[in-house]
Amino acid sequence: MSSLEAEPAPGGSVRFLGHRRAYWRLLVRGALLLMVTLGIYRFWLNTDVRRYLWANTEVAGETLEYTGTPLELLIGFLIAIAILIPIYLGFFLAALDLGTIGQMSGMIAFLALGVLGQYAVFRARRYRLTRTIYRGLRFYQSGSALLYALRASLWWILTGLTIGLAYPFQVASLERYKMRHTYYGDLAGRFDGSGLRLFLRGLPMWIAVVAPIAVTIGAFIEVVDWQALADAAAAGGDDVMGRIESTNPQIADVMVFAMLMGGASVTFAAVLYPVYQALMLRWWSSGLRFGDIVMTSKLRTAQVYGAYVRFVGYAILFSIVAAIVGGLALVAAGLLAGGEQTSIFGEVAATVILLGGYVILALGFSTVYRATVLLSLWQLGMESLQLSGLSALDQVKAAGRASSPIGEGLADALNTGGY
Amino acid sequence: MQSGAGIFFDGITSARHDVAVTLGAASLVISDRTGNVLANWPYNELEPLTAPDKVLRIGRRGNLALERLEIFDADFAHAVDEQAIHIDRTGMIQRRQRGSVIGWTVAATVSMLLVAWFGIPALAERIAPLLPVTIERKLGDAVDVQTRAMLDTGKTGTAFECGTADSEKAGRAALDKMIHRLEAAAGLPGPLRSIVVRKVEANALALPGGQVYIFRGLIDKAENADEVAGVIAHEIGHVAHRDGTKAVLQAGGLSFLFGMLLGDFVGGGAVVIAAKTVLQSSYTREAESAADAYAAALMNKAGGNVRALATMLTRIGGATEPGMKILLDHPETKARVAAINKFADAKSTTPFLDAKEWAALKRICAG
Repeated sequence: MSSLEAEPAPGGSVRFLGHRRAYWRLLVRGALLLMVTLGIYRFWLNTDVRRYLWANTEVAGETLEYTGTPLELLIGFLIAIAILIPIYLGFFLAALDLGTIGQMSGMIAFLALGVLGQYAVFRARRYRLTRTIYRGLRFYQSGSALLYALRASLWWILTGLTIGLAYPFQVASLERYKMRHTYYGDLAGRFDGSGLRLFLRGLPMWIAVVAPIAVTIGAFIEVVDWQALADAAAAGGDDVMGRIESTNPQIADVMVFAMLMGGASVTFAAVLYPVYQALMLRWWSSGLRFGDIVMTSKLRTAQVYGAYVRFVGYAILFSIVAAIVGGLALVAAGLLAGGEQTSIFGEVAATVILLGGYVILALGFSTVYRATVLLSLWQLGMESLQLSGLSALDQVKAAGRASSPIGEGLADALNTGGY
Repeated sequence: MQSGAGIFFDGITSARHDVAVTLGAASLVISDRTGNVLANWPYNELEPLTAPDKVLRIGRRGNLALERLEIFDADFAHAVDEQAIHIDRTGMIQRRQRGSVIGWTVAATVSMLLVAWFGIPALAERIAPLLPVTIERKLGDAVDVQTRAMLDTGKTGTAFECGTADSEKAGRAALDKMIHRLEAAAGLPGPLRSIVVRKVEANALALPGGQVYIFRGLIDKAENADEVAGVIAHEIGHVAHRDGTKAVLQAGGLSFLFGMLLGDFVGGGAVVIAAKTVLQSSYTREAESAADAYAAALMNKAGGNVRALATMLTRIGGATEPGMKILLDHPETKARVAAINKFADAKSTTPFLDAKEWAALKRICAG
């Protein structure tokens, strides 16, 4: 962490000026207030976090500035609620209907809210961009959020059908759409990342995670006598498992094999996740363009592993403290709830203690994750960037206006929010 | 210190201007190296903006162009701060604002909990009677489909519903006689529909719109007709009070209150589920007590034996239930029995069925 010099050296690099300690303080205070206000404080916390990250990111000697306010986010959320209430009510009433509409309503609601979620993602991005100021000019985003939502939804379906194989092409296509409509002043953005390249890089990881599951499914098809299994299950009664075993003698072996393979798949996924994150971040930031400005990322995978090691360390430390405090709280809860003569008040108190413990634990781990992995990814992602063609920065003209925060509100209400 | 260096962006292009900043009488004067004045900002229009620790970044209030001035020298930044009322580098104003935000959100949380505890049941109480019977019926039909799918596992190999085979018809007739006597005394707005189903648990349940399910386990465990009648009277209480509809309204209200307005943070989901469970249990405990009182009054009115319901509850309720009281959806059996017995009249009662009819009802699921 370096301090800022009076005359920042002009260069192609990006620096992060923040201090981990200050960021920790911000997050811990935020987590405590989230708990007390049952989450309403999130608008203030998110704004604080963005202000901090933006203000401490220096590109070519000038820092970014985030001008969004918590009140805007709160208003955006309230608007989103106003839009969503009639929609939820409609689906609630439709579910009461006996005909096909009632039967289908769950499915339709899922699809509609999915599309709306993607719509919110695009609108929220527009809000964040138009609140990002650099050298006295703002970023902005044109384009239709509805078109983006339809495009994204179709891609998600394709990705689902291909068990993730289409995902690199999805990210590339959606990123092209987003960046094509992104501007810094009158400087147009674009995205040059190639989906095929990401696909080839990611394929080994995909195989490592999917192959054990595929082999297991193959083994099941090969070994199990499906007709006998169906008969045994349909007959019901107490001894279903016994009958399945007698008709399918090998099923126990296949089960053990399936468990081993499932374990292998999960282990690969966990170990490879930092590799995947590094790959995505490097690929994505190397594809960003603004006019003549070209970005290249030199992010190393080992750096991302470092962030996870720090996360694990802090998480263990937090777990030890939580176990000690939690043990004492459990004893207190037991004293309040146990015994012959229990009062409603004692039970409520015990429940509040247990629930509070759970929330503290969940929020604690999430805070540790944000302060280690997420901050490191931001910092590493930014500091590994190499910018060229920066002379374009001297004559960019202002364009674009601040947009409404409703996208952020929708994303918040639908749980599709980002940074 | 009356002047210093700074970096200025005019908000029109991204070009960087190294400027000299002078503290004037009522305004900040920003001029370039040759002395041209680029901007002249009155002190009361200066606005502080987010920046790294050692930089003072200011803009002009209400200005649509994003003009920015950055000052790096700490002493000069302090001098500017002294002049401008809106610039507050100690963070006092921000802290005070934050304090009021925290205060109000805590107040909002408390108010929401109070609404959940008192407001939602009161609201459901008022709204449920206003719903037309036809809508309630429709709601009941939807719930009925789900209830049936849940209860009927299709494993017994026989019909799920009792009282349909020829050998069971007499039992069904006995049940109808019992229910007609209760219905006549109750005077419900709509007809009651009842079915006996092959489930071994000693239980009965009422759906919105007047559909009552009686499990065969209940009839098996009963020792006389009035015990069955007492339980049915309790279910009629739920129908008369529209408890099924109220439960739907309450669940919807709670989901809205907790699911949408609160809880979008890590760990919030558990708080929402726990709060909903505890509150819904408290709503149903009240509904159960009210249905008990209704059943006792109805049994009295129909000339039945109130104590039979209490006896039946004691038998099927068994010993004290384990677990936490705040999660029970029924009040404790002991308390229920005591409350019901208080209603028992001294006057003589007429059994709901004679010995022959009672024997037939016992065989309603024999088919």
